[in-house]
Amino acid sequence: MRKVMTTIICIALMLCIAMPAFAAISGDEVKTYGTPFLITNAGQGPGGKMARLLVSQTGTLTLDTDYFYDSEPGAEGHGTLDDMDYSCLVVVIGSTDKGLGASGITIEDELARLEKMVAHAKEIELPIVAVLLEKDKRSDIPTNANERCIDAICPNAEWMVVVADGNTDGRFDKLKEEYGIPLTVIDTTLDFTELAKLAFVK
Amino acid sequence: MTVAKKQILLKVICLVLALVLAAIAGVSFYDQRHYKETVVVSDALTEVRWLSDYVPMLKGTYGDTPIFIFDSGVEGGSVLYCGGTHPYEPATSLSAFILMENIQVEKGKVFVIPQCSYSATTLGVQGNAYPSYYTIETEWGEQKYKIGERNTNPLDQWPDNFTYINYPSGQSQAYNDLRNLNRCYPGRLDGTFTERVAYAIMEVIRTENIDMSIDCHEASIMYPVVGTYVAHDDAMDIAMMAAMDLSATSFDMKIEQSPKSLKGFTHREWGDYSDTLAILMETPEPFIDRIVGPMTVDLMMTGKDLFLSFAGDKGLTYVPYTAENDHSWPMNVRVGRHLSGAAKAVYYMNMFFPEKEVIATWPSYEELVEKDCGAFLHDPSAANPDQVYKF
Repeated sequence: MRKVMTTIICIALMLCIAMPAFAAISGDEVKTYGTPFLITNAGQGPGGKMARLLVSQTGTLTLDTDYFYDSEPGAEGHGTLDDMDYSCLVVVIGSTDKGLGASGITIEDELARLEKMVAHAKEIELPIVAVLLEKDKRSDIPTNANERCIDAICPNAEWMVVVADGNTDGRFDKLKEEYGIPLTVIDTTLDFTELAKLAFVK
Repeated sequence: MTVAKKQILLKVICLVLALVLAAIAGVSFYDQRHYKETVVVSDALTEVRWLSDYVPMLKGTYGDTPIFIFDSGVEGGSVLYCGGTHPYEPATSLSAFILMENIQVEKGKVFVIPQCSYSATTLGVQGNAYPSYYTIETEWGEQKYKIGERNTNPLDQWPDNFTYINYPSGQSQAYNDLRNLNRCYPGRLDGTFTERVAYAIMEVIRTENIDMSIDCHEASIMYPVVGTYVAHDDAMDIAMMAAMDLSATSFDMKIEQSPKSLKGFTHREWGDYSDTLAILMETPEPFIDRIVGPMTVDLMMTGKDLFLSFAGDKGLTYVPYTAENDHSWPMNVRVGRHLSGAAKAVYYMNMFFPEKEVIATWPSYEELVEKDCGAFLHDPSAANPDQVYKF
């Protein structure tokens, strides 16, 4: 009896310790991809660089070996989607609050670039993973640059990964319903590191 | 009395009235021009220098401002904390004062310039009927601080040109930014008064080989870049990690990369014209939103405004402004955000660049929220006179 009780307590304790790790990732099952994979951004925001940094925190995936970062694949002076045999294209959505104008381009330029990039990915059958790491940026305003980038990328994605605070209005649930794309939710942006460990397998 | 005499009498009365009004305004202007704020620095202070130690031509001008140095004596990195680039964003200088009154340093050096644009502290915002001062209540009484301007005082730099061309980029900017310190970097010795101040701060960073420089600001809550770090390319990893960490554990903080084409800003020019890791921080300051009602001291201290609350409830603000936060952004919250924002940036600098490690402590966001600002200010009358500074 004592042995059984000890076992139960041990299991309960282990669950208590493990629960927060599970709680950080919810929604649809985490999909898995091989390496190398390519990270880019949609909207000229800092999201792509955040993802690059968070993946580096896994300690197992190495930049420029297991994964690559290119802010504008296909653009002049940049690489292309078929530079190597990427397992997937991770597109991190997020427009810049400092203003696209400050980046020297308009939202129309950015959307045209995204359209071209998505078309190329489809052509070479490169799966797109749509990621949102930043909180809502007034997502109830349809003309918002962030919203337009979501519309440009998500319907073409194979999987969506979204931080919980970026989906407070259920925007991504609607996309999931409309296009049948699996949606995985992370509690905080930092949880993307844990998700990357599970999703990208060498 | 004849009509002519009556007219002369009326003119004399008008003239006297005008002189009385001018005298009342003059006293107020004079007072703000000469008022000195008081700080009781912590016993970790090792030295006080002035901008004029780096650019002597500033000596005796309103561009000269003190630099407080807290050197642990243990070899390590260095951090510069800047308040008062825009003195009408007073949580920046108040956060610097609270940092200076409570800091302890175990490794490396911390430099603090609490009033970067000192000249801009010597007047109020022209035409906006701003209050000139605010007070912080403490257990030992009240401490009075200035609410200054955005730009340097026209008494120090006048007249304004019709155009402003940033040096050396040649970028054309708004004419009134000619007196805006955060458009005048990297500055120049033979430039305007404001450009000389900018140059002097650059010289501090370069001469002292400052590893990380943090420029504190406040922003209106209808401005997208509020509650945000803006980081130079070289400091992006630090600021990104700090923003994500704070958002997960303490308060929401966004991150933006300094656009290469925006010239004259600290987050761009400090990084381009020195080896420092340049970061700018913005807290929410409803007082400077365009749609608020009366601009009172209460609005400055609480951030509560009826007109702005309508916008907040409609989701038109870039940080929450709803019943959930009582339609407010009080001073202690804003000060706390700056102090923890800086501490977190230092933490990640240490992680990414162990050779630049700085170990220092000062009050945190959580402490400011719990105890309010006054709990961290010391009584000048009871303090060691060597630790009391007025400037």
